[in-house]
Amino acid sequence: MSADEIVCREFAELATDYLERAMPDETLELVEEHLAMCDWCRDYLAQIETTARAVGAEADAPDTAPPAATLQELLDAFRARAGGGASR
Amino acid sequence: MGPSSPTPGTSAEPRAADRDAALLVSLRAGDEDAFATLVTRYHASLKRVARAYVPTEAVAEDVVQETWLAVIDGLARFEERSSLKTWMFHILANKAKTRGARERRTVPFASLAGAEDQPAVPPERFQRPGDAWPGHWAAPPRPWEDPERRLESLEAREHLRAAIAALPATQQAVLTLRDVEGLEAEEVCELLDVSAGNQRVLLHRARARVRSELERYFEETT
Repeated sequence: MSADEIVCREFAELATDYLERAMPDETLELVEEHLAMCDWCRDYLAQIETTARAVGAEADAPDTAPPAATLQELLDAFRARAGGGASR
Repeated sequence: MGPSSPTPGTSAEPRAADRDAALLVSLRAGDEDAFATLVTRYHASLKRVARAYVPTEAVAEDVVQETWLAVIDGLARFEERSSLKTWMFHILANKAKTRGARERRTVPFASLAGAEDQPAVPPERFQRPGDAWPGHWAAPPRPWEDPERRLESLEAREHLRAAIAALPATQQAVLTLRDVEGLEAEEVCELLDVSAGNQRVLLHRARARVRSELERYFEETT
């Protein structure tokens, strides 16, 4: 990348580094200068953030549960362990 | 409780930590409903991370099963030096690594497997040398209108899931730990034995690919 500015193609690779502030100060400064004048890259950044949130929200979906048989087996193991502990 | 994070985490994280703290009390009292909740909450994520180390879904399921049994056994001894979640993912990662080695899989995070060669955005979307503004957008992203609402539809969520499922296993593992479970970057590096730089490359590749799938979906349904 050239020393005195960042172009959109470069920012597209740096969006996550930027969100984590995982870059040298001078790069951070160049990124912020670029973002200040580039609507498109601000849109791109917002979409990366939206994507990360959407992925997180999907975790609460009900159909990520294990199969009923697996759950039952594990509950039996949990009961055996908890019950065994209590009766000793 | 785990160390407090130096930077603000994702918004999902504090809520999740609170939920788990309450759950832990019930788990230790032998509450079966609490255990069912725990399994339902984490089974899919555990399996996705396991899948980065082992060759098949069936073996990943085995590894998760073993992890749950180890969690049941270890609950009484768990000292809360990390969050419940981080502790469980540590157990999982150890078991998955052992199993992967037995299945003679190469260590998945040792290389980026070409991830750094694939750009986050296809090169044809940028202006080329000789154009008016080389390296600037030629086909810029169009702002998404009300994405949160549109992502609530079943169809959109199916697209999102398909996009995640199509990612390479290592990218799915990092995306799951960071964006689904809200673990800190340092925790993920330690769990997966991956450098900070590679962790970010994998996370960004994953987000970028899912973003482009969402972009395609939103443009088709506008």
